[in-house]
Amino acid sequence: MSWYDKTKHAVRFWLLRRLPACKQTVELISQSMERPLTLRERVLLKLHLWVCMWCQWYLEHLQLMRDALRVQKNENDEVEVSPTTRLSDEARARIRRSLTNNS
Amino acid sequence: MSEPQGTAPHKSSDVSVWLERHGDYLFKYAVFRLRDKAAAEDAVQETFLAALKAYDKFEGRGSERTWLVGILKHKVTDHFRRMTRETPLEPTEGEGPEHAEFFTRTDGWDNHWNNEYAPIDWHATPAQLLERGDFWRVFSDCLSPLPQRTASAFTLREVDGLTSDEICKALGVTVNNLWVMLHRARLHLRNCIERNWFRKEPTKPQS
Repeated sequence: MSWYDKTKHAVRFWLLRRLPACKQTVELISQSMERPLTLRERVLLKLHLWVCMWCQWYLEHLQLMRDALRVQKNENDEVEVSPTTRLSDEARARIRRSLTNNS
Repeated sequence: MSEPQGTAPHKSSDVSVWLERHGDYLFKYAVFRLRDKAAAEDAVQETFLAALKAYDKFEGRGSERTWLVGILKHKVTDHFRRMTRETPLEPTEGEGPEHAEFFTRTDGWDNHWNNEYAPIDWHATPAQLLERGDFWRVFSDCLSPLPQRTASAFTLREVDGLTSDEICKALGVTVNNLWVMLHRARLHLRNCIERNWFRKEPTKPQS
């Protein structure tokens, strides 16, 4: 490791020890998807992300999951969830009966 | 019924055709959100009954399926409301696993990522995630170990895009409760998806 890398490493760990740890940070990351963070929270989060690649990826993955799940879906996409899940014959018959009785 | 004779059989036969065409789809849609087959069957039945009653309002405009899904969404929310009234959230049910093992418990280096569970670079875009044919299956399998209410909260939030307020009302939980549920769900799901897709080493037994 070069002198520069060593210093960077040391600064990183020094900062990480003083900031809220990853466990608290991932909670904050999740909340940032639900509400606007306070200024203090935003600063602490930015600093933590600046020195912690893991939490950077965590944030990126949550965003990825949200984008993938919310993407304008073709109506049939979700059906893949469980190709074998079907309305049972009994349920189908019961619904048909209730439709006849109510018409 | 007050309908003139002769029109009712035609309506109900139309709705019966819809049952054949869209019944399975609506059922899957409901199971995915309610995570309970019996409740999903009820919701589908209520949807078709409501469709029969409101038949005149539909008048063949737009897609039948979209219209039916619109009704089903309300039935799903109604179900949660009923369930909430009948069985308030018990403290014992909990919001889901805390996954304390994901984080270190070393003196002086507490609560940071445990190497084994630390996120890795996925090198993926949302489109690439979806292109994997098994995306929805993995997602659904990863949701299933979570408590039913937590899994439903996550689906309503991230798939259907409901607001925190709407979900709190439907599930009868406080906003702080909901945030804990969503956080636990995300922590669990992210790890599960990574373990199933992005890690090369043999998968560990599912928690």
